[in-house]
Amino acid sequence: MRKFSNLIVNEWVKLAKKRSFAVPFLIVIAVSVLLGYVAHLSGGTEFNSAAGFTTVMLLPTGVGQILAMLAMIGTAGIVAREHSQGTIKFLLIRSRSRTAILASKYATVLLYSLALLTTAILSLFIIGLLWFGAAGGNAGAGDIARSVLYVAVYALLYVTLTFMLSVLTSSTGVAIGASLFAVMLDKLIIQREFYKYMLFPNLDLSVYQGGEPPLPGMTQTFSVLVLAAYMILFILAAFTVFRRRDVA
Amino acid sequence: MKQMPTEARTSAEQGNRNLVLQMNKVSKVIKGKTIVDGLTFDIRPGEIVGLLGPNGAGKTTTIRMMTGLIRMSAGDVLINGHSVRSDFLQAISYVGAIIENPEFYPHLSGLDNLKQYIRMTDNISASRLDEVVQLVGLQDAMNKKVKAYSLGMRQRLGIAQALLHSPKLLILDEPTNGLDPAGIREMREYMRRIAEVEGISILISSHMLAEIEQICHRAVVIQNGKLVKVTSISAADESATGEVELSIRVDDVKQASGIVQSMQAAKLTGAEEARSEIYVTLPDLAVPELVAALSEARIGVYRIAEHKQSLEDEFLKWTGGNQIA
Repeated sequence: MRKFSNLIVNEWVKLAKKRSFAVPFLIVIAVSVLLGYVAHLSGGTEFNSAAGFTTVMLLPTGVGQILAMLAMIGTAGIVAREHSQGTIKFLLIRSRSRTAILASKYATVLLYSLALLTTAILSLFIIGLLWFGAAGGNAGAGDIARSVLYVAVYALLYVTLTFMLSVLTSSTGVAIGASLFAVMLDKLIIQREFYKYMLFPNLDLSVYQGGEPPLPGMTQTFSVLVLAAYMILFILAAFTVFRRRDVA
Repeated sequence: MKQMPTEARTSAEQGNRNLVLQMNKVSKVIKGKTIVDGLTFDIRPGEIVGLLGPNGAGKTTTIRMMTGLIRMSAGDVLINGHSVRSDFLQAISYVGAIIENPEFYPHLSGLDNLKQYIRMTDNISASRLDEVVQLVGLQDAMNKKVKAYSLGMRQRLGIAQALLHSPKLLILDEPTNGLDPAGIREMREYMRRIAEVEGISILISSHMLAEIEQICHRAVVIQNGKLVKVTSISAADESATGEVELSIRVDDVKQASGIVQSMQAAKLTGAEEARSEIYVTLPDLAVPELVAALSEARIGVYRIAEHKQSLEDEFLKWTGGNQIA
């Protein structure tokens, strides 16, 4: 266990000692401020408490999407950059299995995403307190928690997709490009039966709250199962390829 | 010494712990093309061995297989008796390596880079870091970011990286590539010192023959992925029974040539009027006889020198000559 946590420390050091490390966090805060300001300007009738503001704005239709995109950009390089820098050679000739090394990278990416998510929750809530107050409305901690869960699932799937692409293509650019392209397309719904088994329409679990499923016949349980299947697929593909790859 | 002693050969198949490295019929086939073909050789403790061959001979591929970066198509590599195939984590723990250029995380300092590898090693003593940094003389550069390092400094940091876990085998792939003459000399000094201080075996791949000649005990020559020859560099001229080639400067080349030809043991391999030199191949024991014969005929002898064929000449002979880059 100590060996594994040391691997995570290594990955975190590589990530955190970059000069651009703080930028994604600042973007999350800036977007939160901006959203709060716009909502405040429009009369402030939309939200009547910090909790209500946070609950709505955290969703994949608000800060959630930007949050996922930032996490994906951080993820794309974690494997690919080792290849482009050539540092993969020193990394793999240690007495550590490739599985452990890749697992530590995945764990680090999840930690990084969690840090971004925490920043988003805190900044949204503080902005909410500033402009909309603590009291009033009927949204509570439970509603915020549900939003957190939705955005976490959404970000987790995208981060895992990017992680897999980073391993498969060994190219930071391709991994970022392909996965951000997917984010752009995920709002597009194709009205066909097969499409409900695709990743995109299932990503935002919050749609089931309003009642209307993206496609007829879809339920929240159905979406959770589809997402779980994709998660397993992405992780399996990444680990299989990384373990077997010839490093040239 | 074309083949290894049979003793080493049979024990290689059983996994001899007295050998630091055993290559057992290692092959690599990529898309139907054989890059490395049934390579077999050993490295003994404390030995410095050169892996020699023209560009594209399969040196780097061989080293990548030894270190588990790429898979072997056939055969196995044993390091200190542990199989790279089936017991990789044990096998690799005895190896320190630089493969092609030493690449580090440019945004981290030298110290932070080394700490990365310390965190990936079991049971490393606290003083070991200072020890290797001292050995490669990078004390003053440890807090600088690696992107500010020169190539020579990165090579030294690479060596420090490779020595951190006190390996039994150090593998260096083209260690002098891209270094200037001063850097090459410095590198050679480090290798000598490491072999002395750390008492470990070193495998150096190179196409720079002068390099290998000066510091290696043996050279393994490969071409097109196949073993061409295992040669002992330092022992070659020690064999008293062997033949020597001499160049002799005389005042009368014609007469001297006649005398050599009249001797049974000696063979005249050439004569150059312009330089007043004759070239003779003869057994060691026959040298005094030749000298006596020359002075008896009152031929003035100005110089007698051993006409040593350099490794470079031999290398060209072995590999067909025209493929060195």
